[in-house]
Amino acid sequence: MSDHRTPEDLKSLRERLEKARRDRPQETADDGGNQRGALNSALSVGLRIGLELVVAVGFGTGLGWLIDKGLGSRPWAMLVGLLLGFAAGLLNVWRAMNGMGLAAGYHPAPPVADEDEEDQ
Amino acid sequence: MAAEHGESPLHQFTIERLVPIHVGGLDLSYTNSALFMTIAVAAIAAFLLLSTSGARLVPTRWQSAAELSYEFIANMIRDNVGSAGRPYFPFVFSLFMFVLFGNVIGMIPYSFTYTSHIIVTFAMALFIFIGVTLIGLARHGLHFFSFFAPKGMPLALQLILIPIEVLSYVIRPMTLSVRLFANMMAGHTMLLIFSGFVVALGILGVFPLALNIFFILLELLVAVLQAYVFTILTCIYLNDAIHLH
Repeated sequence: MSDHRTPEDLKSLRERLEKARRDRPQETADDGGNQRGALNSALSVGLRIGLELVVAVGFGTGLGWLIDKGLGSRPWAMLVGLLLGFAAGLLNVWRAMNGMGLAAGYHPAPPVADEDEEDQ
Repeated sequence: MAAEHGESPLHQFTIERLVPIHVGGLDLSYTNSALFMTIAVAAIAAFLLLSTSGARLVPTRWQSAAELSYEFIANMIRDNVGSAGRPYFPFVFSLFMFVLFGNVIGMIPYSFTYTSHIIVTFAMALFIFIGVTLIGLARHGLHFFSFFAPKGMPLALQLILIPIEVLSYVIRPMTLSVRLFANMMAGHTMLLIFSGFVVALGILGVFPLALNIFFILLELLVAVLQAYVFTILTCIYLNDAIHLH
């Protein structure tokens, strides 16, 4: 960006570097998620989403079971915990799907985070 | 990954006390898990210190590797958290390197993968969870709890939604830790099961052997990918705490 006189090839190198640097964010946004092996990313997304749901249901149920054990209110807290866990799991899955788009969106983060209500 | 005969594929995850230390009723022994954590930290320190010791304008290969890992995390934080996340760079970077080195060192035969123990990953995830919650509280005060209350909802719905929101927030350290632990443990168990077939099948063992080579490559990918996922989720949680919606 300076006004120094540089040899022609150095100048062109700088231009190419700057162009590459400008293009890079978009490139990674497009390629990083999708192109790097459809199987790998689909598999990891699937595993991630599945885990999100399973852990949520398990945790909700376990918490309800513990409450039951403490209060002697079998099986009600466990049932409520199961339902709440399921709901929380679905919420997390939904957020993860939305949040992944946001996370891999490569916008400068603060405006994204402030504008979008449902960022995860 | 000791592939000895008649050994359970889960034997590799056994914790062994190398230097038994008992303080009061607590077992603070120095275990093989702790040994490999020490090795990982030493390797990270050596990698970063040695590669940047003679810092040059045109980097050497080692320096370039160190700069790449630095920039990778710096970009991750900038993209996911923004400039407000800059103070947390040292933490996120250390976390990434620790998980990455733990995963990759675990791929060396006969070594121990400390990230394949849920207590290790859960301790890290819980630390992140508490830290992120405290950051949110410090930045937003009690307003932080509006995080759990969806806006513009009638009171009757809030009564149902708030527990769900709280639960989905509390679950975060669980999913974070289970993801890393399950990936590492499943991968290493699978590798050992297949390497057991190599011996058991005699000459036909070349097939599981070929498969295992593929699996080792896959596991290397998973090792790096899980370190990345663990770190990027930390960034996303941090973003949630810093920029409330």
